Amino acid sequence: MARAVQTELDYASRLEHLRKRKEAQTAEKLRRLGYMNEDDYGMVLPPEDFQWHPKPNHPNGSFYGLPGWADNFCDLMDCHPVYVDPMDALAGRYMVLLNRVRPCRWPPEFAYPELEPDQERYGIISGIGNDAHFAPDYRIGLELGWGGLLAKVRRYRAQHGPDKAEFYEAEERVIRAVQGWIRRTVAAIEEAAQRETNPTLQANLREMAEVNRWLIEGPPRTLREACQWIAWFNMASRTYNRDGAGGQLDELLRPYYERDRHAGRIDDEDAIFLLACLLLNDPHYYQLGGPAADGHDQTSRLSFLILAAAHRLKSTCNLTIRVHDGLDPRLLRKGVECLLEDRKAWPRFSGDKALVEGFMRNGYSGELARQRIAVGCNWMALPGLEYTMNDTVKINAAKVFMVAFDEMLLEDPTPSVDSLWRRFEDHLRRAVLCTARGIDVQLDHQHLNEPELVLNLLTHGPIERGLNVTNGGVDLYNMCIDGAGLADVADSLAALQQRVEQQQRITWQELAGHLRNNYEGPEGQRVRLMMRTGPRYGEGDSLGDRWALRVSQLLTRLVTEQPTPGGRRMIPGWFSWADTLRLGKQVGAMPDGRRAGEPISHGANPRPGFRDDGAATALVKAIAAIQPGYGNTAPVQLELDPCIAQSEDAVETITSLIKGHFDLGGTLFNINIVDADQVLAAHKDPSLYPDLVVRVTGFTAYFANLSPEFRQLVVDRLIRAS
Amino acid sequence: MTSGVITHIQRFSVHDGPGIRTTVFLKGCQMHCSWCHNPETLRRQPEIQVFPERCIGCRACAAACQHAAHEFNGTAHLYHRQRCVVCGECIETCYAQSMVRVGETRTAESVVAEVLADRPFYQPAGGATISGGEPLLQAEFTCAILEGCRREGIHTAIETNLAWPWTVVEPLVPLVDLLLVDIKIMDDAAHRAWTGVSNERILDNLRRWDALNKDIVIRTPVVVGVNERREQIGAIADFLATLRQVRQYDLLPYHPLGQGKYAALGRGDPPPEFHTPTAAELDTLAAVAARPNYVVKVAGAALRNWRNCHSDPERLDINPTQDTLS
Repeated sequence: MARAVQTELDYASRLEHLRKRKEAQTAEKLRRLGYMNEDDYGMVLPPEDFQWHPKPNHPNGSFYGLPGWADNFCDLMDCHPVYVDPMDALAGRYMVLLNRVRPCRWPPEFAYPELEPDQERYGIISGIGNDAHFAPDYRIGLELGWGGLLAKVRRYRAQHGPDKAEFYEAEERVIRAVQGWIRRTVAAIEEAAQRETNPTLQANLREMAEVNRWLIEGPPRTLREACQWIAWFNMASRTYNRDGAGGQLDELLRPYYERDRHAGRIDDEDAIFLLACLLLNDPHYYQLGGPAADGHDQTSRLSFLILAAAHRLKSTCNLTIRVHDGLDPRLLRKGVECLLEDRKAWPRFSGDKALVEGFMRNGYSGELARQRIAVGCNWMALPGLEYTMNDTVKINAAKVFMVAFDEMLLEDPTPSVDSLWRRFEDHLRRAVLCTARGIDVQLDHQHLNEPELVLNLLTHGPIERGLNVTNGGVDLYNMCIDGAGLADVADSLAALQQRVEQQQRITWQELAGHLRNNYEGPEGQRVRLMMRTGPRYGEGDSLGDRWALRVSQLLTRLVTEQPTPGGRRMIPGWFSWADTLRLGKQVGAMPDGRRAGEPISHGANPRPGFRDDGAATALVKAIAAIQPGYGNTAPVQLELDPCIAQSEDAVETITSLIKGHFDLGGTLFNINIVDADQVLAAHKDPSLYPDLVVRVTGFTAYFANLSPEFRQLVVDRLIRAS
Repeated sequence: MTSGVITHIQRFSVHDGPGIRTTVFLKGCQMHCSWCHNPETLRRQPEIQVFPERCIGCRACAAACQHAAHEFNGTAHLYHRQRCVVCGECIETCYAQSMVRVGETRTAESVVAEVLADRPFYQPAGGATISGGEPLLQAEFTCAILEGCRREGIHTAIETNLAWPWTVVEPLVPLVDLLLVDIKIMDDAAHRAWTGVSNERILDNLRRWDALNKDIVIRTPVVVGVNERREQIGAIADFLATLRQVRQYDLLPYHPLGQGKYAALGRGDPPPEFHTPTAAELDTLAAVAARPNYVVKVAGAALRNWRNCHSDPERLDINPTQDTLS
């Protein structure tokens, strides 16, 4: 790559241009699409005159199955606008999410009416019809390239019978469609190069064209080609179904970087710019450091360059540093420095010691367990080996609890916490069983609904076997079930035990009356305050802490004690994603003082205000204690005021917090360094801070793009924490 | 079993010594600094703070009180502090936390147990800090807590005013790793006027402690109208330059957050409002305070960082050639 000329078009100014352009694109997305209570994506809006409509293959107006998805994806690829920015090192942006244009996500032929009563009753997000949420193995694509993948598909097609022909035909078409998209982009790049008058940019465009021309068929040979290949796969996969799982980026790219450096093709500044362009292309979930399969630490020079790239980019980012006993301490330190300086809520940190040990409890080897990485908001997956339904399956524990509570008051002449607990256990067992049966529905039918035609390509097994990843394409099915509302349940049980049973300040029936009235009126207000000031989860060795542990142990036991009826293993976690609002609307007033319809508690976190001092150590200790411990996560979401960054000890302080949490069994650590005053101002007028980025739950997002309701959630959490 | 009165135990303290610490705040102080923003720590005995804006008018406090200390005039709550015996019955019924008890009697063992809760986070530099109020007003209790921490291998620090005979201070020597002390003003007459005590013992005790080869952090709360002049800070710095064990000199800008607490404690008129020095003033004072033998910090931050909570990201120089593996 030509070294950048020291003009106004040096790497710094180019990145500035690219970042500003992304901010403008984000603002435009907000204007045209409205609020987005989810990850920031690399998606850009198509040109205003771009029109594309899917072709249904079902009377209900939707499309399903192999032909439906292949037809529509390929049709979209054939006319998908091309995107070339001369300032960028990489070509392309995606503009459509195919999985969101269907009017009906699940084929009515596979309806599951027998599950719906309990799904509604317990606030179960079943995951049925959800897609992606497992991890590809990028090495497959980097080794083969698109041409190699096509050859692989054809090779295995020839080995199977006509019963698999439709599958292989669909896979071939998908690859050729992506190749066509790249081919048209090459033409656009060449055209732009001819028009470009700036020599630096012209040279860049010519190299971009050369890179992409090669990548139509060939596997990447250089760092730039590898970054571009990953970007194309990411764009295709996002277009198909919003897949955002990344991979162990430092290890994936290290061979290309080292070869390029050895050959004198690039220097570190070139590498940083390429990496920044990859991170800008889309904020996939990339991992740095951590243990290799044999246990050695994977930190390399490239790990630091990736951090440097993200630092210079100053945009949304989902980098995770995998912390383990052998981690190079300099990588952890540098990650924390970035977190404190840039305040974009990255990196986050995974506790690989507990994650590996936990996953091994399922009967897997350490070698396999060490390959599992955090490639989503809260979720873990083995690249290319495992199907998981991560982060798509949730049980609203708060709702289950209130079902038990209401039932007890109706049926039990002598209500008690013990009685309530037994009923809660019974209902949670039913909820888990209903969820498990829903998982089986997904696994039995999803390939007929939405085959993973893009992710199959980077998965070990589907192409070899002619089977979609969801129905036998892989050997490992570890289905993720997350509980939501832990703190609400724990605090409610603690408040009941203290105020009703121990102190007898209110009777069960009196309290039930106030719950039905949503704590209205002066007496209701008083009762609400009484219940809210009970012993809280997070205080430290409180009744609330003990109940939280018990609730988590119960969910863990119920989820792990037997597989789904179809024989699939389930792994528990605690995470609510962006569903705290939606799940909260399903639940009435609760004994912990929560009012009807308010958001449920977030993930594994105690409710804000759990301690007067809001001590971070108490928070992370509490969350470490309730970890289910089977290899999925119950993340910490921590907000810290920027003043903490003033101290010379700041890096050591944060590092001690992270390491302490992981030593105690923690699994994932998200930190926001956000000024509460700034957030309040941005909440009133988001246009004041268009580049304010927060980690909302597991994902980062531009604060301005969140809905007011969602912004309020973040504000409440931040203000209480400050 | 040694016991004493504390106001609270704060976990995740990052401004009371190095690393992550748990700070134990003891109640009572023999000094009376005019600008004190923690008036609830001045008296040793437990007290009640009243926050009328939180009251919801439920009258549960009046029903619970056996001493007629609570009365309602319509919805307005009247607290007769002079009748109150601080039994705490009213607080148990006030869910709005309109009344808050300040000061509880605890054993040293229970305090140490609470300090140990955060032991997983103390490495490499954190530990326990005893603060207040003034810890040496409860010297035996303070020493018992420090002994308990030392037995558990916890790094110990103490924030004391050192305005005591050396015989009171000396028992701390084997128990404390780090001493944090305020020097507010070098001029003794001014010191007496503003704090109620002489600074002679403070400075003398500092010299004695310095001879023991134990680290010292000095702090000056910078209060406009009291001690913000260059020559005042310069005089302190000149004194510190004569000591060998001072590692850090903190300039702590005064803040007025304690004003409301005086009313909550029924202390009549609060002290006059003081003013916080400006950023430029603190810059100047930090430069005046600088000496080769210690680091100057402002509000806990190194000189180059303190003003900018939103620091210039370009100062983060991620240089792979310096920071990475070869």
